[in-house]
Amino acid sequence: MTVIQTEGITYYYEGAEKPSMDGVSITIRKGVKTVILGANGAGKSTLFYHFNGVVKPKEGVVKVMGEPVSYRRKGLRQLRSRVAVVLQNPDDQIFGQTVEADVGYGPRNMKLSEEEVKSRVEEALFQTGLGELRGKNTMQLSYGQRKRLALAGALAMKPEVLVMDEPTAGLDPQMALELMELAEQLHNRGTTIVISTHDVDLAYAWADEIHVLKRGKLIYSGSSEDFYRNPAEVHSTGVMQPSMFVMNENLSAMRGTDPSPYPRTESQLVSKMASGPKGRLTLVAVKSAADCNIERFADGTKTGVYGTAVRRLVRDAGIKTDFGFNGFESCIRECLAGRDSVLLCDEDCIGLAESKIRDLLAFGSDIKYTISGPDGSQRLS
Amino acid sequence: MTDYLFETENLTYSYSTRQPRPSLDSVNIRIRRGVRTAILGANGAGKSTLFYHFNGIFKPVSGTVKYAGKPLDYSRNALSELRNDISVVVQNPDEQIFSATVEEDIAFGPMSAGIDKEETERRIQDSLFKVGMEEYRSRPTIQLSYGQRKRVAFAGALAINPKVLVLDEPTAGLDPQMSQEVIELVEQLCVSGTTVIISTHDVDLAYAWADEIHVLREGNLIYSGEPESFFADYSAVASAGLVLPHTFSINNSVQGICGGRAEPYPRTNSQILCKMLPEGSRAGKIRMIPVTDSVPDSGDEGISSGIYGSVTRRLFKLAGREPDFHFNAIEYCLMEAIGGKDSVLYFDAPLKDRILEIIGRMEAFGRKIEVVM
Repeated sequence: MTVIQTEGITYYYEGAEKPSMDGVSITIRKGVKTVILGANGAGKSTLFYHFNGVVKPKEGVVKVMGEPVSYRRKGLRQLRSRVAVVLQNPDDQIFGQTVEADVGYGPRNMKLSEEEVKSRVEEALFQTGLGELRGKNTMQLSYGQRKRLALAGALAMKPEVLVMDEPTAGLDPQMALELMELAEQLHNRGTTIVISTHDVDLAYAWADEIHVLKRGKLIYSGSSEDFYRNPAEVHSTGVMQPSMFVMNENLSAMRGTDPSPYPRTESQLVSKMASGPKGRLTLVAVKSAADCNIERFADGTKTGVYGTAVRRLVRDAGIKTDFGFNGFESCIRECLAGRDSVLLCDEDCIGLAESKIRDLLAFGSDIKYTISGPDGSQRLS
Repeated sequence: MTDYLFETENLTYSYSTRQPRPSLDSVNIRIRRGVRTAILGANGAGKSTLFYHFNGIFKPVSGTVKYAGKPLDYSRNALSELRNDISVVVQNPDEQIFSATVEEDIAFGPMSAGIDKEETERRIQDSLFKVGMEEYRSRPTIQLSYGQRKRVAFAGALAINPKVLVLDEPTAGLDPQMSQEVIELVEQLCVSGTTVIISTHDVDLAYAWADEIHVLREGNLIYSGEPESFFADYSAVASAGLVLPHTFSINNSVQGICGGRAEPYPRTNSQILCKMLPEGSRAGKIRMIPVTDSVPDSGDEGISSGIYGSVTRRLFKLAGREPDFHFNAIEYCLMEAIGGKDSVLYFDAPLKDRILEIIGRMEAFGRKIEVVM
């Protein structure tokens, strides 16, 4: 199913010599993790402004959920409750005086009940870890906090499509990982996520489908590998091949083996490189701090967290874990080295973890795992 | 005696008296001359605040900052002299670009340093060339894109011919190829004797590039030294808001599975792959062709070619020659070599020793790569 579709859209900014958007027909599919790539100035942000109707194409049509966008006030208000765009620079997006007021701005504009507004604000603040800053003046926030606030504002709209322009730019590595984990959870709950990024490694690890823009034109839509396999085309778009892709290509050439399957994560690459006895992974579905009694595991067993809620919970309860971020990959690293590990998960991350473990099979690693439910139940793989 | 460029003693700084903790808290940092230095830390750790002390924009609330062995003198004359030596390029170019046009903006530094018109003109040309913005010389600065403004700010710093170049997040917001160009330019500056200090969130970049890292956490300096000893302490890495570089982590994982030694630590993909090469496989050669003022005739039929250095890059562009590896070419040529294939590398002549050094490092990872000049 298609969520956003443009048909031959063309746009030029006032006084510009060349169009910023030149006959672009792009299809964003529902539930497909989508990344838009391209050099600075290729038209990524301009495209995003078309998605939420901030910009009206000079030619062509933008359709959302099959319907052409209506640029009347009411139509736009409706559109923006379905498609939320988080801009690269948070200052372009933050208007409220306090954190709380800013997050509530969108939902209030939608004329939702005050009760509903409050509950959405709470949830968005929780997801972005801004709960403690709710009363703070937005002018006093750091860059990373403003960036999270802009995201919270979008989340409060409960959009069907969440579009993020360079969401990790300027964030430190842990914050970037946290954000991508949240994106993964939102995706898992049914939100279609579209991001633009200059970080090709991140894009490669995350995207199901990429679209590449070059000087306002869409020149590629499809799988990452088919694009990166063509170095001349990659070069012409200002992009570089992801490190993981290059490593795998060369590793395969060195060994004279087929490059497929293509590893996109470190654990997948390492699985291809080396193999040994594996440790067991215990996935703990966490609902409350009581589920985190990690003392029951053997001394020295490393623990990680996976999910927005469990991370908050572990922090608030002062529970010490070894991998507070990038928990899945870190725990798998332990298992690959032959050591057991424990991953404390949001309930909805259990399924995600299972499917990632299954993905590893193709790379030669069969990780056995146990799911430990909040009711104390145990299930072995 | 080690030649310290900067030394701070108990440097403490707060933006306001109401801060719960100072932005820099008794920091004793020593930056060595000629050493590729990266400053790491989470958002808010104090990296930018530290940089503003290097060029005297900020004066410590307590403690001292020494440059080349002498405490900074905050008088107006001394500061403008200091800023002839030290250029700080801030993360956001808008905080640094003031003039109406690109050329005026770049001329600002040299002019205020009292440099004559002719020399200033030469420097404008040179620095615009280095950042690939020659065509934008007379453009109004407000018409530039973010990446272009970032490069203009960089060019402005270069025009001073600084002895020390401090770059705050130089690649943030740039597309991948522009980032590579910036890194290559930084390499050229290092080779020509400039000391370059970089702050970055990109741990992979820092690990591949830096000889020495300094790590800040909530205003405290928690580590100074070679990167490996820091990254080996995972809880310190995590508490500093950082992650492990991919090469470090992959190397550890593979060693954890197969046994064997973690050292030598690979910092690049080619070094990791080299470590994993099967016994007895044949390595390819790298032909190195120095470029000074023209693109040599191609002698590279059938093998991949790469270019390295701004002069080579420009001459190739003018000649309409398309290499296979436009960016990160040393790394690509090394990977060709360990894959058993020959390749050719065209490079700016002054970079010869540096390239040989990088190629020579492969020997520590198990394979000597043959170079043909």
